[in-house]
Order: sequence, then structure tokens, then C-alpha cells
Amino acid sequence: MTHVEKRILINKIVMILSSLSAAVGIAFLLWILTILVINGIDAINWNIFIFEGAPPGYEESGLKHALIGQVMLIGVATLIGVPLGILAGTYLSEYGGLKSKLANTIRDISDIMMSAPSIVIGSFVYAIFVAPFGHFSGWAGIIALTIIMVPIILRTTDDMLQLVPTTLREAAFALGAPKYKVILQVVIRGAKTGILTGVLLGVARVSGETAPLLFTSFNDNFLNTDLSEPIASLTVTMFNYATSPYEDWQKLGWAAAFILSMFILGLNILGRLLLMKRKSK
Amino acid sequence: MATIIDIPEEKAIEVNNFDFTYAGASDPSLKNISMPIAKNKVTALIGPSGCGKTTLLRSFNRMHDLYPGNAYNGEIIFEGRNILQEKEDMIKLRTQIGMIFQKPTAFPMSIFDNVAYGLRLKGIKNKSELRDRVEKALKDAAIWKETSARLKDDANGLSGGQQQRLCIARAIAVEPEVLLFDEPTSALDPISTQGIEKLIIELKEKVSILIVTHNMQQAARVSDYTGFMYLGDLVELGKTEELFVTPAEKLTEEYITGKFG
Amino acid sequence: MNKFLDRFFHLSTLSIALLTLLVTGAIFGVLYQEAKPAIDAFGFDFLIDSKWAPNLERFGAFPAIVGSIMSTALAMLLAIPLAIGVAIFLSEIAPAKLKSPVGVSIELLAAIPSVIYGMWGLFYFVPIIRDLFGGLGIGLLTAGIVLAIMVLPFMAAVTRDAMNTTPDILKESAYALGGTKWDVIKDVVIPYAKAGIIGATILALGRAIGETMAVTFVMGNVHKIPSLITDPATSIPVALANEFAEADEGLYFSSLFYLAMILFIISFAIIAFAKFAFLKRGRK
Repeated sequence: MTHVEKRILINKIVMILSSLSAAVGIAFLLWILTILVINGIDAINWNIFIFEGAPPGYEESGLKHALIGQVMLIGVATLIGVPLGILAGTYLSEYGGLKSKLANTIRDISDIMMSAPSIVIGSFVYAIFVAPFGHFSGWAGIIALTIIMVPIILRTTDDMLQLVPTTLREAAFALGAPKYKVILQVVIRGAKTGILTGVLLGVARVSGETAPLLFTSFNDNFLNTDLSEPIASLTVTMFNYATSPYEDWQKLGWAAAFILSMFILGLNILGRLLLMKRKSK
Repeated sequence: MATIIDIPEEKAIEVNNFDFTYAGASDPSLKNISMPIAKNKVTALIGPSGCGKTTLLRSFNRMHDLYPGNAYNGEIIFEGRNILQEKEDMIKLRTQIGMIFQKPTAFPMSIFDNVAYGLRLKGIKNKSELRDRVEKALKDAAIWKETSARLKDDANGLSGGQQQRLCIARAIAVEPEVLLFDEPTSALDPISTQGIEKLIIELKEKVSILIVTHNMQQAARVSDYTGFMYLGDLVELGKTEELFVTPAEKLTEEYITGKFG
Repeated sequence: MNKFLDRFFHLSTLSIALLTLLVTGAIFGVLYQEAKPAIDAFGFDFLIDSKWAPNLERFGAFPAIVGSIMSTALAMLLAIPLAIGVAIFLSEIAPAKLKSPVGVSIELLAAIPSVIYGMWGLFYFVPIIRDLFGGLGIGLLTAGIVLAIMVLPFMAAVTRDAMNTTPDILKESAYALGGTKWDVIKDVVIPYAKAGIIGATILALGRAIGETMAVTFVMGNVHKIPSLITDPATSIPVALANEFAEADEGLYFSSLFYLAMILFIISFAIIAFAKFAFLKRGRK
């Protein structure tokens, strides 16, 4: 075989292998999604939303406690984390800029924290907010989730604000606006869609977290809306129910998994649609 | 309507009734082009932006095939065969018809490895043969003096003009019949440009050259034949001195005298 | 009035931004403080001691550390070739119509919470391993594979992005010399995107080593260095997840915090290394 023929053969082999890899990747995705949908739909019924948790074997058990708990945890974490993240990102883009050592350090640290193990953050919050009080609480879980969420929102806000053209800012200044008004009324408004996308992705990411809640908000099998007490979450409930030996609990675990995945995938798709709408403008 | 002269020299390439349509486009970008490319001469293609000169150039080495959906129609005859046919061996074609691009495109490897790249693709492994051919190519590209002492250095250490010569050396190392130049000096300073133009004139002894340029003066300086294109048509092809002094077509005259850009 | 508001706004945003630095520092500090009793009791021997016996108040992190390293190594071994293959497919092979749906699917895979990977692993993959290799089906091998599937989408996406930065004109130059797709990928794209590809790999490694939920379901949490790859084992995140709620007294807790501190330092260092050595954002 000539060298050229050999090269063409190797090329063909590599192309086949790459396509196979992609096929393997897609196959796993389809596998996971399929079992998620099959088990989830099988397990979903109105009981899920009506009843709270119950000992295994009880007819009247559901996920109401976990759903409400999850909404409370994510909701409050979002209410705290998003403004913090946006304001911090605003500092980086509008006051720090690209050359400031402080701003770049904050950017670097945030990048690293975005990939840091979330269970360590859970341990940290345990030490400062659970141990001193002697009990788990929803607030501890919220703090852990906020710590995870802020760097994500911070970075996307920073990036999106930087995309706003300098001329826009200059035009506002030229009209005599003070800096804080330029930022709030012109720049942030200009990056609105991008920032919203970042928020959606941040919420999606945090909704799927289990590890940081394991020993902060802990869990509760019954409905509890008092954040100063342990509170149920969809993720921890999923973990507990799925690893239990009880079939009806396992079923509820799949229902929870299905609901959570649809929510997160929905947020991701929404974020993407927003991004595309922005690009087409 | 077009005026294409008949050339006395042997033809390196002959284009017959060539159409080209980009993927997804409703109209062809090149319409019914017929022209000869003279052997061992420099043919220049000029015309305003969007006239199709680069599209035409990239058809000769079938660069368009890298992006699916493009459609050729007609014939491009090279070495007695129509290279637009499905069964054309494109790897072989590209070793016979080489290309230099608008910006210097040195690969992320040493100077030696850059020039030897095409040779290695062909399967030449013998170290002394590689060394000889690389040296010859660098000499023919008039860059041997600047590089002989640092063949193992990364090619990105060379200046823009030097890198473009390196790319020329890389292309001629495989001894092609034809060289296609796509606005080769548009990213270079005037002095480097001068050097490249001088090189092109020297190179025509060994290869047939087709050069696309948006700079009319450059076309007048380096080429033997010039083709003027407009909106996908080849309006006129003639001997360079004649085309620039007494163009046959009114459109050509208007372009040359700057009535439109 | 405006001047005051301006200054107020500036200071507010600055302090919140500084807060992020503060929290990171606090994490280091608190972890150290909580781990101190264990550090005082065991010192560096903690890292090489294999015995983890809560009832005897004797804690050695070696099995957890080894488990972390081995499961991560196994996962990377499986994921790297697959991820590069997927990245090559997405950036060079896929026809335009497939590029988007396949690319988006891979990115959506990355968004699925890790706890669901764990559930899938437990219910669907463990039986397969059990059938193939015997035993419980829970252990290092299963954990490594589930972890690989988890890390794959992220690594494939970042590698693909790195490859896509190669200028078209550079690739065309290689094609113009008669190169095949693989020639172009091997000789132009990969060298050009080398830093990004290595960075993506190391970053994925940093995330994998801290992964908890995907692995907790299928690792077994046995503080022993497995003799067979199919034996149950443990890793630092798995130990933390399983034992934090059970730990009842001082030294047990401190040892867990000692583990957490080690994990934080290791993953922080790996991710920082990937970032600074390979993934410079060109912010100069």
C-alpha cells in the first residue's frame, strides 16, 4: 500500500471511530432519558402532589413535602443569590474592568469555585450554620445553594455587561447621567437578556444539587415550611428513596427524578431560546 | 458578449462553460466561465468585491468540496481530464495544483516541518531526500538565507512576509504544475509585497500561476494575462498590457479607470 | 445627591464582589479549624493510614484517597478517548444538519443532575456489572464507568469549543497540500488547540474528583483498598456523603473535615492549574 493509500485508510478508520464515539455518547443520553421517562411517567399520579411523605407501604404517600421544600430552598436562594451575583458582576465589569488585579482575581476565584466540589461547601455551611445551632435547617441549605449560585451569576453578568458597546455608555454620560444611573438604566438594561439567561442556567444548576443539602437542610419526610427546621428537598428525597429497599419509595424516587429533570431541561432549553433570540436581533 | 483571447501558448488548464453555485443559493455565483490558463505564465484575475474571482480560484483545487452542498457545472480540464468529475482523486489533485492564501498560514510546527509537510504526506521519509528538497524549496522561495540557520525553530517566529514565503516554499516543495495565489500580499507591508511579487515572476519558469488580486497595479506588474470579472461573469481576458491600455469591453475600461470599485 | 448615590453604589457592588473572595477564604479557614483536632491527633500519617474505624477512634484516609484517585483515573481513561472522538465528530465530521442537534444533546446531558446519573447507575448499570463480573456489582469499576459517563459531555463540549477556534484558513492550507481530514486534525487542529484540550481534560479531572452523587450510589463506601476492581471501595466525597450525618463525636467529625479539607485543596489546585496553565482567557 502506498503511503497515500495508508493515510486515506487511517483517515477512514478515525472517522468511523469518532462517529462511533458520538453514537456511544448519544446512546447513553437516550438510555438515561428513556429510563427516566418510563419510570417517571409510570410513577406519576395525582397522589404525588396531594400527599406528603409517609412510611413505606402507606397508600397515601406523595412528594408534596419535597416539592414545596425544593421550591422554597431554590426560591429563597435565587432571591438572595441573583441580586448578589448581578451586583458583584456589575462591579467587575463596570468598576473593575479588564485590567484591575482585584477584578481579575475575583474572576479567577469565581471560575474555580464554579467547579469546586459542592459537598465541601456543604461541610463548610454545616460548620458555621448547623453545628453552632445544634440542628439542621432550611436556611443552612439556602446558604449553601447561594454560595454555589453566586459565582455563576457573577461570571455571566460580568461577561454580558462587557458585551454592551462602550459607545452606549458614552452616550449616556454625554447626556449628563451619573455613573450609577448609566449602569442601572442603560447598561444592565442592554444586557438584560444575557443576564436573564445566566440566571436561568444558575437556577438550573443549583436545582440539581444534592450533596450540599445532605447535611445542611438535611431532610424531612413530612411537610414543613419552617425554614429554621430541617426541610425536605426533591434531590435529597430522591437520594433517600432510591437507595431504600422499599419499592413504593423507589417509585416515588423516579417520579421525583422525572419532575426535576424536566424542570432543569426546561430551564436549559428556555435559556437557549433566549440566547438565540438575542443573537437574531 | 465577453472577449476572451485565444492564447498562443500551451494551456495548463482549460475552463469550459463552468458554472458554480454555493450551497443553498438560488443563483449561481459563477456563470458560464470559459478561459485558458497559460502554461508557465502568470494569469491575474481582477474585479470588484463579490465578482467571483476567489470563488473561481478555489474551484481549481476543489476547495469548495470541503463545505458540503456546493455544485459545479461544466468542465475544468487539467492534464487531459476533467477535474470536476466525482471520481477525481482530490488528494492527488491538490499535490498538483497548490494554493497560497490571503494570510500567511504557517502550521504550528518548525520551519523545516512546515516545508516538509507536503513531502511527508506523499510518503517521503528518507531524511537526506527531505533535507535536499526542503533546502531547494526554501531557496526557490528566496528565503533560504533567513532560515537555514534555524530550521528547527517554530515557524511563528518569522515575520509576516517571511511566513508567506515559507508558505510558498511549502507549496512548491511538492513540485506542483500550477500555483493558485489568493490575494497573497493583502496582509503584508509594501516591502514584503514587493518581494513576493518578484518571487511570483521568477516562479513562473517552473509552474503556471493564477493569481487573484484586488490591486490592479499588482496585476499589471506581475501578470502576462489578466482576466476581468464582474458579478460572476468573466467579462474579458487578454494580454495584460493590452487589457490595461486598450480594453476591449466598456465594463473593463470603467473598472480600470476607477468609475466603480 | 448623585455623588452620594454613585459612591454608595460603587461601594455596595465592591463589597459584594469582595464577599466572594471572603467566602472562599472562609471555607479554607473553617475547614482547617474543624479539621484541627484530627490534624493534631494524626498529623500527616492520616494520609497514609489505611484503617478507618470510628468505634476505635482511629481514622486513616488512605482508602478514601486511593479510591478517589483510582475512580477518577478510571473515569478519565474511559472518558478522554470518547470525548475527543465526540469533539472531532462535532467539529470536523458532522454535516451541518447534525452538528446542532448532537451538540445540543451533549450539552443537555451535562445539565442532568448527578443524582440521576447515580440512580441510573444503581438500577441499570449495577445489575449488568453483577452479571458480567459477579459479586455485588457495586464498586470501583461501576463507579468509574458512571463517573466517566458523567464527565463525558462536559469534556466533549469544551474540547469541541477548543478545536473550533482553529482558523479555517489554516485548515484549508493543509487540505490544499493534499491532506485528509485526519491529517488536518492531527497536524493542525490538535496542535493549535492543544492548550485548550489539555485544559479541558484537567478541568474535567478536577470536577470528577469532587463528584459525589453519581458515585455514592454505586461505590459501596467501604474503607478498604479494593483488591479487585469490582470490589466496593470509597472515595472522599462518598465517605463524606455517607458518614457526615452519622458522625456523633469530635474526632470522627474532625476526621471528616480533614478529608473535606484535603479534597478542597486537591480539587482547587487541579482546577487552578488547568485554568492558569492552559485555559488563559486572553485577558492581558
